[in-house]
Amino acid sequence: MSPASAGANDSDDVRAAAAGDRHAFQRLYRLHVSRVHGAVYRLAGYDHARAEDLTQDAFVRAWQKLPGFRHESAFGTWLYRLAVNVALMDIRARGADPVSMLDDEHLPDTGTTPFCAAEREELERAIGRLPPRARAVLVLHDIEGWRHEEIGSELGMAVGTSKAQLHRARSLLRKLLGESS
Amino acid sequence: MNEFEWRRQLRDLRQPLAPRRDLWSAIDAALEDAGRAQTAASPASREPRPTPRRHWQVAAGLAASLLLAGGIGWRVLQAPAAAPTAANTKSSTGWKPSDPRLAGAAIELDAARMELQLAIRQAPDSGALQRLLDRTEQQQTQLRQLAHQAG
Repeated sequence: MSPASAGANDSDDVRAAAAGDRHAFQRLYRLHVSRVHGAVYRLAGYDHARAEDLTQDAFVRAWQKLPGFRHESAFGTWLYRLAVNVALMDIRARGADPVSMLDDEHLPDTGTTPFCAAEREELERAIGRLPPRARAVLVLHDIEGWRHEEIGSELGMAVGTSKAQLHRARSLLRKLLGESS
Repeated sequence: MNEFEWRRQLRDLRQPLAPRRDLWSAIDAALEDAGRAQTAASPASREPRPTPRRHWQVAAGLAASLLLAGGIGWRVLQAPAAAPTAANTKSSTGWKPSDPRLAGAAIELDAARMELQLAIRQAPDSGALQRLLDRTEQQQTQLRQLAHQAG
């Protein structure tokens, strides 16, 4: 059963888990883990180990925050947002880490690289090499379908900054794909 | 490839993905640890974390304490005849002047600081609690200066 189709049916488990039922929470985990992990994996730059740590952290936090869940949105949506927030907090925490940064000057100047076809794995690898904040904006906007207002709010940046980061991320991505082709 | 196809290609990356290993056992262990820590801290309740309302109750209580302590300090400053002359001493939890009125404010502020530190441990992301802690520490510094001037 997909998270979308299960949305209406998991409310009993949500209530039970909020009351401390670990088995109910395990069922929720089984139902939603793939969606959550997919998003976290992309935000973590396609790093399996880090994404697994973050997914685990997201579910622990979800358990802790579950008593405060007000059923104003679907549980899956609430959980997904919480997990994205965990991944973004990790990016913020690693913001000063120069090892994980890839700036424009580290890339060859290939001029205006056109949009180019890329294999899925090649594309994921290139996204994984983007600077963390630029990658976060690109993943949230171009892959997850978020609006700049939502991204700005979640990342604590102005809408204009989010747009600028997206532009930069796309340019870097084209360069990276041009570099590897 | 045009931009439309490029964006479609990116959007196609939005796929659910199962972790390579089952994370449930690690999550379950983490929940078990959290539950045990919570039981040790508060045996009567499953919920160790203050709800947002409790956060604000704590914060409001602390703010009232701070106002009271600040008021006591201010009154002392406004009463030069009563200025203390004795040397200041240190308490086990922090600085404590020998003048009983200043000492009252110091104890009040010390208690507020410790309560805030405990609250921040439970809610490390709370900016409001952090600001209250900063203000408390500033008031402690001001109280030290007052005692120094008086002494």
